Amino acid sequence: MSLDQANPAVPSAAGPATRTSVRPAGGAAADRRRRNRRTGRWWTPWLFLAPALLLFLYFKFIPMASALTMSFQDVQPYLGNKWVGTENYSTVLHSDGFREAAWHTVVLAAGQTAGSMALGLVLALLMEGQGRRLGFVRSAAFLPVVVPIAVVAELWRIMYHPTGDGMLNSILGLVGLGPSGFINDPDTSMASIMLTGIWRGAPYDMMIFLAGLTSVDRGLYEAAKVDGASRLQRVWHVTVPGLRSVFSILFILAAIRGLRVFTEVFLLTNGGPDGSTEVVMTLIYKLGLEQNRLGVGAAGAVLLFIATLILTVVVHLLRRRESK
Amino acid sequence: MQRSRWVGAGFLASALVLTSCTSGPAGVDAKQDSKAPLELWVRTTPGGPGEQGTLRVAAAFGKATGYKVEVTAIFDDFETKLQQRAAQKNLPDIVMNDVTQLGAMHSQGLLREIDLDKVKSTEQAVGQALDSGKSVDGKQFGLPYSAQASALLIRKDWREKLKLQVPQNWDDFAAMAEAFTTKDPDGDGKKNTFGLAAPLSTKRGYASWYFSNFLWAAGGDFITETGDGKYKPAMTTEQSVEAVQWFRSLGCKDKVIQPGAVTMETPPTNETFEAGRTGMFVVGPYLMPRFDESLGKDKYEVVPMPKGPKDATVLAEGGSIYLMAGSENRAGQDAFADFAISAEGQKTGMQGDTGFTVQLPVNKTVDISKVRPDPRWATYAEAYQNSGRYAPSIPNWTPVRQATAETINALMADCGLDIETKLGELDNQLAGILKEQGIAAP
Repeated sequence: MSLDQANPAVPSAAGPATRTSVRPAGGAAADRRRRNRRTGRWWTPWLFLAPALLLFLYFKFIPMASALTMSFQDVQPYLGNKWVGTENYSTVLHSDGFREAAWHTVVLAAGQTAGSMALGLVLALLMEGQGRRLGFVRSAAFLPVVVPIAVVAELWRIMYHPTGDGMLNSILGLVGLGPSGFINDPDTSMASIMLTGIWRGAPYDMMIFLAGLTSVDRGLYEAAKVDGASRLQRVWHVTVPGLRSVFSILFILAAIRGLRVFTEVFLLTNGGPDGSTEVVMTLIYKLGLEQNRLGVGAAGAVLLFIATLILTVVVHLLRRRESK
Repeated sequence: MQRSRWVGAGFLASALVLTSCTSGPAGVDAKQDSKAPLELWVRTTPGGPGEQGTLRVAAAFGKATGYKVEVTAIFDDFETKLQQRAAQKNLPDIVMNDVTQLGAMHSQGLLREIDLDKVKSTEQAVGQALDSGKSVDGKQFGLPYSAQASALLIRKDWREKLKLQVPQNWDDFAAMAEAFTTKDPDGDGKKNTFGLAAPLSTKRGYASWYFSNFLWAAGGDFITETGDGKYKPAMTTEQSVEAVQWFRSLGCKDKVIQPGAVTMETPPTNETFEAGRTGMFVVGPYLMPRFDESLGKDKYEVVPMPKGPKDATVLAEGGSIYLMAGSENRAGQDAFADFAISAEGQKTGMQGDTGFTVQLPVNKTVDISKVRPDPRWATYAEAYQNSGRYAPSIPNWTPVRQATAETINALMADCGLDIETKLGELDNQLAGILKEQGIAAP
């Protein structure tokens, strides 16, 4: 889907520009009237959009706006909400462990994004092709994405069992390592959660890479082969540049997903042990929902939204500059 | 341009919708109607035995008094759903929820004060249960209808195989935990058993919840009342530090707590006890029906917690009836509270085989051994009467429980941390929480 949008601005911008330059300026109004008759009234497209817009209004925009209002209020629905200015924000920003949580979120997001993309690319390269059996393998590899996260977390909790007879520990034992505490040891808990995230995220990235790989010109591989490039060199100099737009899309998606990480952390460790896996979302959950202080929760959510927005805009700007 | 006008109108409309949602007069006195049906919300699984039990109580109440009660069982996000009803200024008339919710609901203005003169059966109520329904300023805002306390479950077959006595003090307790861990009580030749099952995750404050049984028995405290409803942090007192040290040595030195405890809440911990991985577990009576079925009644026994350095204090908990503000049938509310605490109401709530509405009765005239002949219930009743202690009703107990759970979890997860430093930090944090709630001692 996104692969074809790499350079969408060029043809559409060129079209109308040439047309208006040919037509005399005074004919514009008449032109519009004629077009109206041909395409219907101006509100026709809005009418078609109305169901979706109405749903968005009630289930997205109004809740978002009320979350914004709530973030400046002491929310007590029965007594009436009280305006408290930026107090909720300072509660979140000055809470114990907010800085650590923000740092953990960045580390986890970066690690999961990089790991999933690397593993996804390797999987995609291995499973590229048309064979019928490959289709089966690809579906099997995609399974982690469709399994509910609660099940995934429970599976990994069993695999991470911290004694020598635990599943992963018995494998580590074969090569003379371990037993590791995994999620139960403050030193390894973050890496363990990251591993679970990568296991779940990589197949998704693989699918998008697979779609991207079909758009890489086969001729380039052959040309590189003729020039004496090794297999690794072909991947590095032909495949990777060909997938550039896929990388940036995946990066945005994964980074947003990474900043909002909650479920796997909540189910596996809930931020423990010793706060070693506390992320922004689990902290917001504790401060806002568990303590029933919805204003504080809303302030945290708004902060996270702003961070995500900034990240997305920056990546967009970088992409635009690059394509110029 | 037309389009921008429409966008403007859209914004205006949504702004109107928003303001209508967020503002309005608070706590209007409702016109009274003693015929209006009472809407009752209970925090239990919809369709489960808990709902059946509540329905039985409601039906018996209707038969005895003529008032009509509509029962709604909600489990997930109970508090959030209550907030939504609060936003509509249309609360249910009665809520049956955990005792510890009192502070949070009271500070939100959701509760009305209960006039004990209008609820006659409270004269027969157990004193400490009644006290748990008082807010920090000493006014009655909740009426407990069910109580419970912790007792110690022991794998009887393991204990008998290793020829050990029921532990009487903490040394016995630690020795038994060690024997269960090292002496292969299940006889399979593998070192795969542990002495104590403990949910020590930070989730919902489990670590703090479980540890309170040990902290209080050592004479320690999370926060101590200094009089006039003011509190000060107490996690660095000698007794508290001693309790933490002793409990931590179970995990760090003796290694008798099940591995992975620091990321486990109750469900996986229950499984370790059922699956024969752990030999002791400190819990309330509500797990007995489950363990009777999965493990077998003959495999485990229920004994009082052994005495700690001070006494055998254990955590007392329970459910309360809250009469909600703005009800149009206050007489009906009072009548329900009166019935639920009366001997008849309590006995009705104790019926059934699982998921009882009433765990331990709060009415002094109800003798548990007459209603439930199983002697294990008497053990629980005794633990509650003699050693049960509720968490204090401060405006919001959750932050205290969360903060202490984080610290206990940290100390159990990382055996290298310095206890005194960590507890010092915790005391500072607790001081901040108390100050924020306006109950810090000067």
